[in-house]
Amino acid sequence: MPRHFPLVMAVIVAIFLLAPIAIIVPMSFSTAISFEFPPPGYWLGYYARYFHSAAWLNATANSFAIAFGSMNLTMLVAVPAAFGYVRYRFRGKSAMNLIVMLPLIVPGVVSALGYYGLFARMHLVGTHFGMIVAHSVLSIPVVFLVIAASLKGFDRNLERAAYSAGAGPLRTFLWVTLPVLRPGILVGALFAFLHSFNEAVVAIFIAGRDAVTLPKKMFESIRLESDPVLAVVSTLLTGAMLAGVLVSVFIRQRAARAT
Amino acid sequence: MVAPAILYLLALFVVPVGHMLVLSVTEPAVSLANYRRLFTVPLYTHVMLNTFAVSFVVTLACLALGYPLAYVMARRNDWVAAVLLAAVGLSFWTGFIVRTYAWLVILGQKGPLSAFYAFAGLGRPPQILFTTFSSTLGMVHILLPYMVLALYAVMRKIEPSYLRAAESLGARPFAAFRHVFLPLSLPGVVNGCVLVFTICLGFYITPILLGTPRNMMISQLINQQIEDLLAWGFASAIATVLLAITLVLLAIYNRFAGLDRLWG
Repeated sequence: MPRHFPLVMAVIVAIFLLAPIAIIVPMSFSTAISFEFPPPGYWLGYYARYFHSAAWLNATANSFAIAFGSMNLTMLVAVPAAFGYVRYRFRGKSAMNLIVMLPLIVPGVVSALGYYGLFARMHLVGTHFGMIVAHSVLSIPVVFLVIAASLKGFDRNLERAAYSAGAGPLRTFLWVTLPVLRPGILVGALFAFLHSFNEAVVAIFIAGRDAVTLPKKMFESIRLESDPVLAVVSTLLTGAMLAGVLVSVFIRQRAARAT
Repeated sequence: MVAPAILYLLALFVVPVGHMLVLSVTEPAVSLANYRRLFTVPLYTHVMLNTFAVSFVVTLACLALGYPLAYVMARRNDWVAAVLLAAVGLSFWTGFIVRTYAWLVILGQKGPLSAFYAFAGLGRPPQILFTTFSSTLGMVHILLPYMVLALYAVMRKIEPSYLRAAESLGARPFAAFRHVFLPLSLPGVVNGCVLVFTICLGFYITPILLGTPRNMMISQLINQQIEDLLAWGFASAIATVLLAITLVLLAIYNRFAGLDRLWG
């Protein structure tokens, strides 16, 4: 086997991964009225249309609001759970771990149908509240894993040092534990936000008309009308994801340098 | 500290899914008719077998494409590895919808594929969009990052000195790979395959947007039953079977490897 075979393969596969995403960018500046590549000409018309479309802007606002709400709810639940899980022994610990991981184990379409059935009965379909709750549940496992991992790497001698220097539990937590764990918590929060922002299956089932998010709006637009604004939204979303991932890499690197 | 999370998940995850399980045996009447229908009507058994076949193909394709990529990422420690990791990360975080949309453009009538065919003087390309092939291709593209990251997590921990030891004892590079690296990377292969296969079984967006209703996967059938027919009971029964299959697969994995490692 030639020596460079793995490298060549790896590069080809990486191009296969990126090329379809890269194609979206020139598409968004295209003058074509339907999916057409290479574009017949370039303009910013569809960007203007996106920024003047009440429907797309509304979906964008909903996406941000729901992602922000579910991120907060997730952190509120997942951070204490990770602390309890990593630091204490208790009966039923493995059962607890299983329950926390359930949303990751159950296929998305099954969760979506479950929420749809129950929320339809409770009149929660098409509400921000229903979306925030469902998204927060689904992002708990990932956030739990991230926070638990950073807690496992925490050197508890730091806390013992604070105690022996006369600090109480609260002061120790606020001034020692929290600052050290901050990168992990920030990355967890970012993951929760991005998870909700990207989530499509549950949204398609339960977002209805009033809580429609960008992925759901895109799904419907692809199926019904193939609106050229889709390329604009995809480009903006990919840009936002790229920014989010860069921020998380930055947080981690700064944390790595600090320790 | 753990209690709020448990209560939250029980009330807002276990209850909705449990409600669905109940619906599968109570809608439209209390009986097992939904399940009987699912397992006896040939159309539905075909959908289930088709889902398995497609998931199997997607998993193999992801493994074949992902292994060399993860291998290079794990074995090198330079800018090449960093760029490849960034590429995988970016595609991992790009939403399913965006990537599915990209394939609609690429394979569409006015897409680059058609342009290439016209340019090469081959006339019109074959109908690729809205076939089992296009939905399989889309799923491979979307699930590949999961496979690569699962492989990479294990491969990164393989000591380079083991390979150097094998080579200093006279093993050719390929023999060292085959007898040292490959066996040590197998846990990653199993993780990646289980992950991709189970996600693929219930994959919703891509089969619906890129696939064909003539060759449905389970999630397409669920969608059809809910959206077109409002058949809550039957849709719930299909989802329950999907859930059961997934749980059985993960239970087998758990028996041998421990579920925690799957996402570690």
